[in-house]
Amino acid sequence: VIDATTSAPAIAAAVRAGKTRAREVVAGALERIAQRDRTLNAFTAVLREAALADADAIDRRLAAGEDPGPLAGVPFAAKNLFDVAGLTTLAGSKINADRPPATRDATAVARLRAAGAVLIGALNMDEYAYGFSTENTHYGPTRNPRDTSRMAGGSSGGSAAAVAGGLVPLALGTDTNGSIRVPAALCGVFGLKPTFGRVSRAGVVPLAWSFDHVGPLARDVAGLAAAFDAIAGPDPRDPACSTQPPARCSDALTRGIDGLRIAIAGGHFARLAADEALAAVGRVAAALGARHEVSLPETHRARAAAQVITAGEAGAYHLASLRTRAADFDPMTRERLLAATLLPAAAYVRAQRFRAWYRARVAEAFREVDVLLAPTTPWPAPALGPDRRHGGRHAEPPGRLHPAPVVHRPAGDLGTDRGSRRAASGRPAHRGALQRGRALPGCRPARGGGGGGGPP
Amino acid sequence: VDETDVERLAAHVGLTIPPGSRAAVAQHLATLLAAVRVVEEFPLPETTDPAWRFEP
Repeated sequence: VIDATTSAPAIAAAVRAGKTRAREVVAGALERIAQRDRTLNAFTAVLREAALADADAIDRRLAAGEDPGPLAGVPFAAKNLFDVAGLTTLAGSKINADRPPATRDATAVARLRAAGAVLIGALNMDEYAYGFSTENTHYGPTRNPRDTSRMAGGSSGGSAAAVAGGLVPLALGTDTNGSIRVPAALCGVFGLKPTFGRVSRAGVVPLAWSFDHVGPLARDVAGLAAAFDAIAGPDPRDPACSTQPPARCSDALTRGIDGLRIAIAGGHFARLAADEALAAVGRVAAALGARHEVSLPETHRARAAAQVITAGEAGAYHLASLRTRAADFDPMTRERLLAATLLPAAAYVRAQRFRAWYRARVAEAFREVDVLLAPTTPWPAPALGPDRRHGGRHAEPPGRLHPAPVVHRPAGDLGTDRGSRRAASGRPAHRGALQRGRALPGCRPARGGGGGGGPP
Repeated sequence: VDETDVERLAAHVGLTIPPGSRAAVAQHLATLLAAVRVVEEFPLPETTDPAWRFEP
């Protein structure tokens, strides 16, 4: 039975085996969106007719004996930062709403479609991806499906809420300083920030060129792996994209964790996290037999350098619009972007030099271990509303400033479904983080609908 | 950082910051400059190049 909890690979397997039709799966997703999204506000556009037509095309190909791809019939949606041919790329803004529709899909969208997945719509986000709350002034706040009085996190909040709410099994997001990891954690779904350069950002509005990553959010690790395998790989349209072909992740998931060296991230992450977040990490570590603790040096400075680099690049990107249309920016982003334009260039370069130093230290740490465990966020999801200017204190994801992959895996056994917090960071281009996520006891899809609890 | 600083700096980059936003911009700039100080306090080796490029 395909329902709001079925994972992307399971849906594709059922469609490919002829146990259900892509049209039925897509129609089910559209029905759930119609029922729930008036409350959640995860979607800014629903492509109902196009999605049903695409689903019919998948069914026709199957009937003709063709292979429509490994994600055949899997509904997905993309943060409205991604170009979708025929749709204006809002980037969460009023300003970009005046632009003409995109003429071609972003590479990641095109690759999911080529793998047989069916695009259902575009998702809400913080304006220009510069935030952690998805309390968008122009398009309204996205609500956390686990507790609709709380924020979904951001900036890929629509992506996380759409998966957590059972609307789609798979979504695309972007992550500059935590914008996949944080909403995945606060909504209790799985999220992957891949190694920098593994997934093309072509056709995606940038926030900070040197940090921006594209990645999936899904109902389980297998869903992340299947999506990653579909979207990763060289792309001449993105100059930061590696020319080296990535190893397939789906193939690694059944290998277990034998031989993987797993440690707990101490220091900065342990000091910041609430007891319940540390307890969740402790339970994961115990299940994996991880006792060794590794402290990455100068992590508080890495956080500061990431803040400076992001501001420097974002301020530079938006300077022209700030000169002519400052009043049209979301108040949540306008004043921070204005301040960002005033940073001295020497500060930006110093932060990039510190980044090189820090990256070398992280590389040294990953010579000793393959996977580091840490809380993705130190706190549960904050309430929506007036206290939203909390400086992103709920957003302290591991993996800032270095290019390593980070997987968020929910910890719904915290006694609350308001948010859940575990991350596994791995060596760049290494599949250990996904292997570890898969190997955890009880690893199964998060349940949507605001109830039912996440995986243990 | 005060509102006068913000007005002066903004003029150098061709920005006009509305009077109602200047206090908030000053506050955000002060936060960013505090982050800059945290980075600058670290004694980086002179030979450290910026991290322009990464290859997985």
